[in-house]
Amino acid sequence: MNRTASFATLALLAALGTGITWLVQQAAAPRIAEQQRVLDSRHLLDVLAPGSYDNQPLQQPLRLADVQLDHSTLLGGYRAMRSGRVTALLLRSQTLGYAGSIDLMIAINPDGRLLGVKALKHSETPGLGAHIADWPQGWLQVFAGRSRADPADTGWALKKDQGQFDQIAGATITSRAAINAVHDALSYFDEHRQVLIGVDGQ
Amino acid sequence: MTRSSLLNALMLTPLIGATYSWKTALGVWLMFVAANSAFGLAMAGLRGRLVPASHLLAAVLLAATLTSCLQLAMQAWALQWHQQLGLYSGLIALQCVVLEHSGFHQRPWRERLLQGAVFGLLMVGLGVLRELLGESGLRLATLAPGGFILLGLLVAAWQAWARPTSSN
Repeated sequence: MNRTASFATLALLAALGTGITWLVQQAAAPRIAEQQRVLDSRHLLDVLAPGSYDNQPLQQPLRLADVQLDHSTLLGGYRAMRSGRVTALLLRSQTLGYAGSIDLMIAINPDGRLLGVKALKHSETPGLGAHIADWPQGWLQVFAGRSRADPADTGWALKKDQGQFDQIAGATITSRAAINAVHDALSYFDEHRQVLIGVDGQ
Repeated sequence: MTRSSLLNALMLTPLIGATYSWKTALGVWLMFVAANSAFGLAMAGLRGRLVPASHLLAAVLLAATLTSCLQLAMQAWALQWHQQLGLYSGLIALQCVVLEHSGFHQRPWRERLLQGAVFGLLMVGLGVLRELLGESGLRLATLAPGGFILLGLLVAAWQAWARPTSSN
């Protein structure tokens, strides 16, 4: 066996390896991008019932005005539609929790009632406030069906603060932040309903 | 570091790091088997055509190619699963090279099959055990230190069973 043949084999192996990897990468890239898009939108949109929309809400973000609310900031708004009618409005809200900001996706139906809330990002205490990111989150589900006026403003608080709602055990600040952000979003929806739903939405 | 302790360290990494859930453990093991089978076959064909000094370089090239392609394929077909594997899927390339270096791929195929199966059984078994313990409230089991403790207990149990104490 001579060194030249060995070197040639090695060079061939290197060229083949590079070429095959490149080809596989080219073939796989569109599929991977598509899968990533599906994963991303599922992560953001699983607060909505699967059959309740047929558009791609994330592709058409709304332009929101006055996004600085009492306890939270709105980062984005999206319309979920089915057969050309708005079925839900999504507000991405950021509020301050115990250890940092919490991002919530809040879904509201056209009548101003809450469909669901999901925590997207947070840095709360593991085992306590971090439970807010469990999915499905039992505590966040108690807000479903509520609206800005149900309960009245004073009721939109923890029982500890003379309100109506229980809290996540051991996570008062996290729970308070979430309640306030949800109430903020419902109020914002009420005040900007025409703009958010759109003229052609109904 | 001797060859065998390097190999042991490389096998221990996924055994602790990727067994916090059985699905991750299974994914790493399946990729390990696929990469090593293809690697073993290709190296068997290559060894006769290479001077011994270039074996290592060939092994590196081959392992990198195979692992990259497998990673891309898994991303295309099961992206979420692949994301759970994290960096442990990339580590498989290194395992291929070190296994080749330690002569694993030149051993009889029955022996390789058996060792691969034992590795898989240990991976998935540890994954199932850690996940069950984690779900029943022992959160430590899902973390890396819990993995070490559990593996230590398993090794101790194995030794107690395989080597019954001689009465004296």
